[in-house]
Amino acid sequence: MEETNIITHFIAGYPDLKASLATAKGLIDGGAAALEMQIPFSDPSADGPVIENASRKSLEAGFKVADGFNLVKLIHDYADVPVYIMSYSAIVYNMGVDKFVQTAVEAGVKGLIIPDLTPGNDEGLYASGKAHGIDVVPVIIPAVSDERMSEIMAEKPEWAYLALRSGITGSYTKLDDENIGFLERLKKYDAKIMAGFGIRTPEQVEVLAPHCDAAVVGSYIVDSVTKLWNETPFDYDAVKTVAEKSVRYLFTGRG
Amino acid sequence: MKQYNNFFGDFGGRYVPEVLRGPLSELEEAYTNAIKDPDFLAELKDFQKTFIGRPTPLLHAENATKTLGGADIYIKLEGLANTGAHKINNAAGQALLAKRMGKKRVIAETGAGQHGVATASACAKLGLDCVIYMGTEDIRRQRPNVYWMELFGAEVRGVNSGSCTLKDAVNEAFRDWTASYKDTHYLLGSALGPSPYPDMVREFQSVIGNEVVTQTEDIKIDAMVACVGGGSNAIGFFSPFIEKDKPRLIGVEAGGRGKGAGNNAVRMDDSGKLGIVQGYKSYFLLDDDGQVQPTHSISAGLDYPGIGPQLASLGESGRIEFQSATDKDALEALKFFASTEGIIFAMESAHAGAAAIQLAKDLGKGRNIIVNMSGRGDKDLFISAAALYGDKWKEFLEEEAKRI
Repeated sequence: MEETNIITHFIAGYPDLKASLATAKGLIDGGAAALEMQIPFSDPSADGPVIENASRKSLEAGFKVADGFNLVKLIHDYADVPVYIMSYSAIVYNMGVDKFVQTAVEAGVKGLIIPDLTPGNDEGLYASGKAHGIDVVPVIIPAVSDERMSEIMAEKPEWAYLALRSGITGSYTKLDDENIGFLERLKKYDAKIMAGFGIRTPEQVEVLAPHCDAAVVGSYIVDSVTKLWNETPFDYDAVKTVAEKSVRYLFTGRG
Repeated sequence: MKQYNNFFGDFGGRYVPEVLRGPLSELEEAYTNAIKDPDFLAELKDFQKTFIGRPTPLLHAENATKTLGGADIYIKLEGLANTGAHKINNAAGQALLAKRMGKKRVIAETGAGQHGVATASACAKLGLDCVIYMGTEDIRRQRPNVYWMELFGAEVRGVNSGSCTLKDAVNEAFRDWTASYKDTHYLLGSALGPSPYPDMVREFQSVIGNEVVTQTEDIKIDAMVACVGGGSNAIGFFSPFIEKDKPRLIGVEAGGRGKGAGNNAVRMDDSGKLGIVQGYKSYFLLDDDGQVQPTHSISAGLDYPGIGPQLASLGESGRIEFQSATDKDALEALKFFASTEGIIFAMESAHAGAAAIQLAKDLGKGRNIIVNMSGRGDKDLFISAAALYGDKWKEFLEEEAKRI
């Protein structure tokens, strides 16, 4: 099990800016191999209700995109862990794709995951990423054709993100012959694979681990933080602890 | 205007996650085949005639013209189409297409409820399962339409996120579709979203403009006026004229309560910003960070924060002029055409009516204006009566509530 890598997702500015930093620290202490930080967008149509509501709360609390980049720096003051930024094309395009990429590089971001800017339809994101030395992570699905996979892999990404099922984030994903089989087929490509969407239990992580390079856990962490925050708001130490416990639970089945 | 690589000039495109690439390619292929197939076109034409009630009349509004003392006003009575608005043109076209594609289930978003009603009606007629997503704020404003949709056998799912209006219903429909595309067609209601929707919706709505061409063989048209939310009635109405340099084409946006962010849904002055939202590039009302801004309009069909990509492109090139009408202007226009012509504009269409009233005065006698009454106003009873009939309406509702 020591080879199991878990990438944990959290939302910048949720439940507030300070709490999202506490969450990140907890995730790191819990053993996350990398962090995937979502910059909230007002209309996150690829996300389910958990992440959508959290994004809205973050924006209502006054979150600005600049706060997100600043948060990455604060995380790196705490630990040298890779941070990926996930967001939507609206946010990236609004800043200007190249400027967004440059700003991310300056903040020390490891890579970008922008699901609605896909290879060939990316407003120059992949080229800009190469020019500035930052990884752009394509999101793929088990239904993708071989022909399309070749187009995507022609970008030579270091990592690709496999969404384990169609639909939105949050609800439980059954790991079956289709998605596990697809993971096996992905081994012929050079890219390392992070796989996620509906990963909420240590059993799923255990099934997934041998077939990919990292398991991504998202809504489960947001749920844990939300539950805690509803019970004891503004207790930042508790936020950090619950984030840490959530990751440990996924490794071992014990919180 | 032809589109190239899914773009209209700088606008349009297909900015969707990988999961929706397949379904959109499948849709594009099915649509481009169908629209060339004489059998499909014959089926559509028959449906338009026998079910929708086409062609809709072009009314010479002589009383209105006389009262204003300016240009002659003609009204395209699109509101006389079955289900009360132009929305059925597109809903019928896409529902027939969905059936041809072998889809069993149709999902749609709705704002004012007209697209939902049209979709539910077409699905009832064609035997397709139907789910309609509608913002809870819109459900409050347009409750009678929920009743009609349910009567048609559709399931109406309230969307309680974001601003609880049309854009949130679009998000929810996309969420459904990413998991259900195998057996489900997403019947998008306006000429926006990722390609091929802007093209396809314009084609199905172009029947409005094509009828106008036939109906005005003996009239020299100087200007055409339509309201613009997402813009499907406008692009369909303008469609045969956009590659010519005449007549003047005027789009009217929701001026709401007046100027200032959050008070209106005007995108085509300097307020709109080039952005990528809901799968396409166009002008949107965004803040500094690119977050979608709140809007306001008295009409649920005009408060969408973005505009169809082809309209944005035609606005940019100057072919279409954009104006706005306020909530108050629209209510005045509603009263004016009701009392002079005996017709009730939908609140959305009344924005175009308001602009036509002003334009008739500006252009003067001997000129001709056609205004598209994209819908009729029955659905707005609870809004217009509350605004125009005040306490008497409240009294009636209280009496009625006691009675039932």
